[in-house]
Order: sequence, then C-alpha cells, then structure tokens
Amino acid sequence: MPDWLIDFPSGIKLNISDPIDRFIDYLITEWDAFFSSITNGLRVFLNSIGYVVERIPWWLLITIIFVLTWRMSKKIGRAILYSLLVFSIGAMGLWDLMNTTLAIIIASVIISIIIGFPTGVLVSSSDRLDSIVRPILDTMQTMPSFVYLIPAAMLLGLGNVPAVLATTIYAVPPLIRLTSHGIRQVDREVIEAATAFGSTKWQSLIKVKIPQAMPTIMTGVNQTIMMAISMVVTGSMIGVTGLGQEVLISINRLQAGRGFTAGIAIVIMAIVMDRLTQGIIKKGEAFIDE
Amino acid sequence: MKNKTLLFIACLSIALLFSACGGTDSGDAKQIKAVFADAGWDSIRFHNAVASYIGGAAYNIAGEDIPGTTPITYNGLISGDVDVYMEVWVDNLPTYYDDVRAGKFRELGVNFDDNKQGLYVPRYVIEGDPERGIEPMAPDLRTVEDLKKYSHVFKDPDDNAKGRIYGAISGWEIDNVMRNKYKFYGLDENYNYFDPGSEAASVAAISAAYNKGEPIVAYHWDPTWLTGKLDLVLLEDAPYDPELYPLGQTECPSMNITICVSNEFYEKAPDFVEFLRKYRTSSALTAEALAYIEDNNASMEEAAKWFLKEHDELIDQWLPEDKAELVRNKLSQ
Repeated sequence: MPDWLIDFPSGIKLNISDPIDRFIDYLITEWDAFFSSITNGLRVFLNSIGYVVERIPWWLLITIIFVLTWRMSKKIGRAILYSLLVFSIGAMGLWDLMNTTLAIIIASVIISIIIGFPTGVLVSSSDRLDSIVRPILDTMQTMPSFVYLIPAAMLLGLGNVPAVLATTIYAVPPLIRLTSHGIRQVDREVIEAATAFGSTKWQSLIKVKIPQAMPTIMTGVNQTIMMAISMVVTGSMIGVTGLGQEVLISINRLQAGRGFTAGIAIVIMAIVMDRLTQGIIKKGEAFIDE
Repeated sequence: MKNKTLLFIACLSIALLFSACGGTDSGDAKQIKAVFADAGWDSIRFHNAVASYIGGAAYNIAGEDIPGTTPITYNGLISGDVDVYMEVWVDNLPTYYDDVRAGKFRELGVNFDDNKQGLYVPRYVIEGDPERGIEPMAPDLRTVEDLKKYSHVFKDPDDNAKGRIYGAISGWEIDNVMRNKYKFYGLDENYNYFDPGSEAASVAAISAAYNKGEPIVAYHWDPTWLTGKLDLVLLEDAPYDPELYPLGQTECPSMNITICVSNEFYEKAPDFVEFLRKYRTSSALTAEALAYIEDNNASMEEAAKWFLKEHDELIDQWLPEDKAELVRNKLSQ
C-alpha cells in the first residue's frame, strides 16, 4: 500500500500559526492605545466593585445570605447551613481572598449580562444570525482557555483585569444561548394574544416574551456564574489574586491540605451562589404560573 | 447499500490490520522504555530530546516525555513513574538534599551550573535604542538597589503611586528569596511585588513590554529562549554569600542543575546511566539550542540532531567509541 494511504501525506501543509502570531504582534504594537483604554475602563469598574465588596462587613454578608436563603426556600435549616458554610470560609482564614475572588466573579458576570442578554435577544429574532453566532459560541466554550489567556495577558497585561475579560469570553456563551432559547420557546399563542391586543413588536418583546423567558434566562445567568467561578482558578495562571492563586501556590508547593482548603472555599462559594440563583429562578417560575 | 457499507468496513479493517502489522516487526531486540520528565520549560525538553536521541541510536532506549509541573514530575521520579530527569533545579526543591540522602532516587551529576537568575530589565531601558526611537528611561540603573530611584519608570498600572516588579513564580523557592530582596532593599516603599502566576504569563508580560518598547523589570532566569532572543540586562547585586542569600541580600548563585534517574531505572539500564553520568552542557550551549528552535521553528528532535552535529566533540566526551560510532551513523543517515 502506498505510504500516503497509511500516514497522512506529508506534502499537505496548512500553517495558520504564523499568520496568527503576526496578527497578535500587530495588535500588541499598533493597537496598544486601544487596549490600554479598555484595560483602564475595566480596571475602574473592577476596583469599584472590589471597593464595595471589601467594605461589606462579614456579619452583614452572612446575614444577607441567611435572609435570602430563608426567603427563597422557606427552610430555616438551609439558611443556617449556608450561613455556616460561608462563615467557615472566614474561619479558614480565607475571607479576604474570597472577597477578591467575589469581586472578579461579580464584575465578569455583570459584563457577561451586559453583553450576553442583548445579544441573546437579538439572536432569538433571526435564524440566520443564530446560525452565524452558534459556531462562534461553540468556539468560545470549547477553546482551551489557556490559548487565549496568554495572548490576553500580552494585550492587556497581567492581573485581575485581563482575567475579567477572559472569564467573560468563557462565561458569556450559555447566557446568550439560553436567552435566545428561552425567548424562542415562549408559547406562540401567548404572543398572538399580545399581538391581538394591539401590542407592537417591541411591547410584546419587553412585556411578554422576556418575562415569560425569564426562568430560562436566569438559568443562563446561573450557568454564567458557575463558569466564572471555575475560571477563577485558571485565571491565577496570569496573576489573578484571590482563592485561585491560593490553589495555584499550593499546587506548586505540593501542599495538598492548603490546596483543598482553598478548593473547598471555592466549592462553598459555588454552592451558595448556585442555590441562591436557582431560588430566584424557582420564584420566577412560580410567578409565571400564577 | 448495506452490503456496500459492510464491504467498506471490511476493507478498512484489513487495511488497518496491515498497517498495524507493519508497526510491530521493528524492535526485535528488547527495547527499554525510558520516561523523561517534561517539567514544563523548553531547556528540559531539549535535553530530553538529546538524551532520547542518543538512547535511541546507541542504547536501544525508547524515550518518551511525560509532561507535568515541577513538583508532580519530581514526585514521579521518586515513585518511579519518571525514569530520567534531565534538569533538576536543585534549589527550587526544598526536600531535594534529604531525598538524595534517603536514596529515593539517584543523582548522576551536573548538567550545567553556570546559569543566572535575578531581576532583568530590557537594555533599552538603560541605554535607549535609537533604532526604535527609544530614549533611555533609567540611565543610571545598574543594581537592584538603584531601582528605588526609578519607581516612576516601572509604573504599576493597578496602582499609580507605585512601581511594579514582576516577581518570581509563586511557589518556587526563589520566590521567597525575591520577596526578601524586595523588602531588604526597601523597594516595598514604592513598588508592588507582582505575582505573575505562571512562567507563561511572566514570559508574556516581558515579551509584550519588549515589543512595545515599554519599561519592565521582572524576575527571570537564563538559559531560556527569552534571554537568548531579547537583549535583557541582569541587575547587579552584592556578591553571593550563602548565609545572606536566602535573606535576599546578595545575588543569586549559579544553581546546580543535576541529572537524576529513578532507582528502578538505575538498575535497568546501567549503560545508558553511565552515559547520563557523563552528560554535561552549559548555559550558553543550552541557550544556543533554544534560540535555534525559536528562530527556525524547529522540533525538539530536529534541534537535538542539529545540536549534536554542531557540537560533534560532545559525542566523544559523553560516549565510548563504539557508541559514538552508532550515534554518528544515525546522524549521517
């Protein structure tokens, strides 16, 4: 059998890495001012969130979690459990690190919502747009994050700010997908009824479609939060501070105990944030059923 | 239709069978597998490739790399999952000397010991670069202590009041030393010590700043392709003193970079181990090879071949005559 049937023919060569390198070099040298201004804007945004988060006293945060869980689930046991879990993060000496991480997550989630929600609404309105956006979202979700983390670090510098951007890239797709999906799934008859009552397109979108789709959209927000949390650890590879950095340092030093401590704190954050947003979703669903 | 599909599958499996058979008839004498630690940086991969190539040519060794971080691969060496470790950065491993004494693996010798590490700045920061239109930004910067005068040059984007020093990678032993140095020279007054998180990020920061012609001061070490390619200046420091060094008060000593093998492999392949004992290069040689890789986009194996051809004398230093013959034959093929 000829060689080219067994081994992939060596004559066929596709080199996309050189053009990409040149493109990134071009961005670094020619678009420096543009990226600096993005970084500075993001920095102000992130710092102000960090400023607020850091100034929330620990007992207030725990009380908020207690009240929210209680009102959401009507179960006092659960409310006590979550408050205790968050309390234990402080007891493990990780409160300040958690605040840093929390600020990064909140900033990324807010930016994700600002970008993701309108995009999702737009995509829901056109099948053609959907077929264009879908592969882009697939790429964003499956591309290993390190691949764009390092170029992002070259363009935006190291630290928490580029991490917010990288986290957004990673965390925004589920929100766009689920917003679009939710709006598409709204019952046709409901929309027809709205149109029959004389709603304009805009009115039926704002007053009917989006509220009806809210539980699905909130599921998207929930997914976005979860993905942002998981990205916080990867982000420590480009100098992100907080719990992720703690995990990275302990891995580098092979300190399993320290790593697990920080890891458990991240798990607690994820669980509490997940259950709280799930609670909001359930409330929303109950509201729609009424 | 269905028959055609079946026929197709049958043909395909026969073809696969043939190609599989083709693979098995080589290697009549028993090959010894050697797992090389790839702890994540280029120079160790390069040394792996050279040792692997010689092993394949002369000692019937089938080398393969296993990737991981320093602590993970180091633990692999102790547990026997890693056979050969071409570059153990001794001072970065707090338990190294204890482990050697306890006989957890075998130290064979020094690969190279003329490396450098410390705080680097691009040369244009001090001397300027007329070609690129860069004015000298810190003309009197010579030593680490001089940094104090120039915190306004190395501005921290997150904190306008202070400068930023890109530190060592968190978790490495040297990170503690650099943090001590930062405090010892009083740099903490007007600088932030920034943890880059990983080697990749540190390299990204340095090369991005270099491309833009911006000032940067960062911890780095030699030999890497970065120090081979960019014109960086190592800031001077007080002469090395073993007592004061951990406190960050002196320059970093050249570290011993040793070659180690697992106990199991030591017994299994004595001839090859004998070769590894003699294996010795230098920082300059390593950096030369790494720059070749970077410039020519070469694979590690190509670089190993190029290196052995370029430095033919090393073959005689490392290998007995008959083995050297085998390697040269393979190289000239």
